[in-house]
Amino acid sequence: MTNFSIDRRALATGLAASVAAPAVVRAQPSGPIKLATLTPLTGAGGPYGPVMATVAKAVAEEVNKAGGVLGREVVIVSEDDQTNPEAGVRAARKLIDVDKAVAIMGTWASAVTTAVAPLCWESKTFLATVSGADSITALPHQGYLIRTQPNTTLQSKKFGEFALELGAKKLFYMAPQTPFTQATAALVKAAMEKAGGGSEMLIYDDKKPSLRSEVDQALRYNPDVLFMGGYAPDTTVLMKDLFRAGFKGKLITFAYAVNQKVVTENPADVTEGVYTLAPSTAEGSPAYQHAVELSKAANPDPYTCQVYDHVNLILMAIAQGKDASGAGIRENVRKVAQGGGTKVTNAIEGLKAIAAGTKVDYEGASGPCDFTEAGDIIDCKFRYEQVKGGKIALMRIA
Amino acid sequence: MALLLQAILNGLMTGALLAVPAVGFSAMFAVLRYPNFAIASYATIGAFAAWVINTKFGAGVALSIALAFIVAAIVGAICEWLAMTPLRPAGALPAAIASIALGVVLENVVRFIFGNDLKAYDLPIVRDIRFGDIRIGPQQAENALIGIGVMLAAFAFLKFTRLGRAMRAVADNADLARLKGIVPAQVELVAVLIGCGLCGVGGVLIGLDTSIDPLTGFRVLLAVFAAAVLGGLGSLPGAVVGAFALGIAEELSLFIVAPTYRSAIGFLVILVMLSVKPRGLMGDRFA
Repeated sequence: MTNFSIDRRALATGLAASVAAPAVVRAQPSGPIKLATLTPLTGAGGPYGPVMATVAKAVAEEVNKAGGVLGREVVIVSEDDQTNPEAGVRAARKLIDVDKAVAIMGTWASAVTTAVAPLCWESKTFLATVSGADSITALPHQGYLIRTQPNTTLQSKKFGEFALELGAKKLFYMAPQTPFTQATAALVKAAMEKAGGGSEMLIYDDKKPSLRSEVDQALRYNPDVLFMGGYAPDTTVLMKDLFRAGFKGKLITFAYAVNQKVVTENPADVTEGVYTLAPSTAEGSPAYQHAVELSKAANPDPYTCQVYDHVNLILMAIAQGKDASGAGIRENVRKVAQGGGTKVTNAIEGLKAIAAGTKVDYEGASGPCDFTEAGDIIDCKFRYEQVKGGKIALMRIA
Repeated sequence: MALLLQAILNGLMTGALLAVPAVGFSAMFAVLRYPNFAIASYATIGAFAAWVINTKFGAGVALSIALAFIVAAIVGAICEWLAMTPLRPAGALPAAIASIALGVVLENVVRFIFGNDLKAYDLPIVRDIRFGDIRIGPQQAENALIGIGVMLAAFAFLKFTRLGRAMRAVADNADLARLKGIVPAQVELVAVLIGCGLCGVGGVLIGLDTSIDPLTGFRVLLAVFAAAVLGGLGSLPGAVVGAFALGIAEELSLFIVAPTYRSAIGFLVILVMLSVKPRGLMGDRFA
């Protein structure tokens, strides 16, 4: 009886202590270092998430072969956020509470990242994301979040400038409701009005099999450029309905909404001439070449390159601080990402340099990977492309 | 006036897409007495079956639709036998919940086989024909006609064949039908074959208009369910009327509310209908 009561008390005390303990105490002191990918394996982001998870695992495997980090094995746990905030939160809970991952990488949709971020900063888990909404880095994340994707302000500015370059006087913006829709519309409108043009918007329901009436509404404005702000499934519906309605103006959209698969699968008439914009990868750079090898993709998309950078940065930050915890990554990620020093393009080079006491500055597959205090990327080039004859042709990188 | 007419036309086209799976859903409900939410995945499976025969073997629309019907019907019958039949005695609610789970499993099987990327049928796309300010899409009109043809065939089957009459008898009064020598298990199988087959055809019609991916059926599940509830669960003519009414209501709602709330119209329809007339517009069995 006595033993039992002591056991019970000890158990209660242990449970209370484990809940109350600061995260630094709950960091992984030994055993493998667990990092997680939370990418969209299904839903609108489904075409991108699997490759993102693959490249993360490939980097970890490579690092493990070279002796791991701090002499410990790196394990990547992958979950599916289903491009759905609710599913993302459930998966993040599991990664944080069950797997005890110290960092989560690769959340794709802004709505998912917005939902998952509070779980991360509350549990002192580091979050590296590829989402673009301005609101994300404005969250009170206490430094537990960085993103490698340029924010909405920067992307919208580029879209506005590009529309003007295409001769737009009247732009119509059509998009589903996302955390960046309103901000994008406002910024594009400002850019258009500044140049003496005009802009209108319509937010549609992205689950509808037809957008005929929405297209009718848009065409009543008589736009010369139509900016499609959705994801691939709804943008496909929209493009078909625009074609049927006889829209003769120019179409611009995000590269993830009209990718090569979308172009290949749809009748050439539907996608011909569509302009796409995307944050550019650092094509041709050593890190990019390495991402090509590891992802086994001839032209890895920006998200794959960004996740490649996430893993490398996080592993080097852990080595730099000799601390495999979210707080340790937060303190050290900028020390390895920027600020001058020996240029490194992968974690293996970086870990060697760090072990030798050298200051490193990572140059990634998605770009220079330098971050502001808020966690935004400082510098990013954009890729301008156009669909021509069933192929996506590069116009320029600028 | 032209705007109103255009919206009604658009609604009729949307309604035609929803009517086929709504009839399938209602047919199964009438006989099996539970709402089978796995129809979303049967629609997706039908769409992919048609995509395979269309893009890999160059089959035309008619043959693709026929194959979609057959594949969705067979998959539906197997799933019903494996997963749902043992659960049905527990009541409609456990069966309905299980059908949601079954739908998720099937959706992921499709994903496993075909991947997540969007796919489209190998068919040319044509511009709409204009009559003044009104425009009609030849493809949508064709889809609507196919939908109506498939529904007429289903009605003819129910009206003029022995099996169809047996189905209606079981739907009206299963005990009485049993006394008359009708074997309910046989009738249930036929209901599943027809119901799931029609959902498969519905998936193809949606895919012809848009593109297909593992969530094709899931995206229209609420609208199909709303159409069936509006018409009266278990009533096949009701499902058709409900689908057209919902299609038109959704399009007309764009004059009043922002397009982003279009899906809410489906919820609203279910809410109002169940509050005011629980049996639906033409339902007489659901209460």
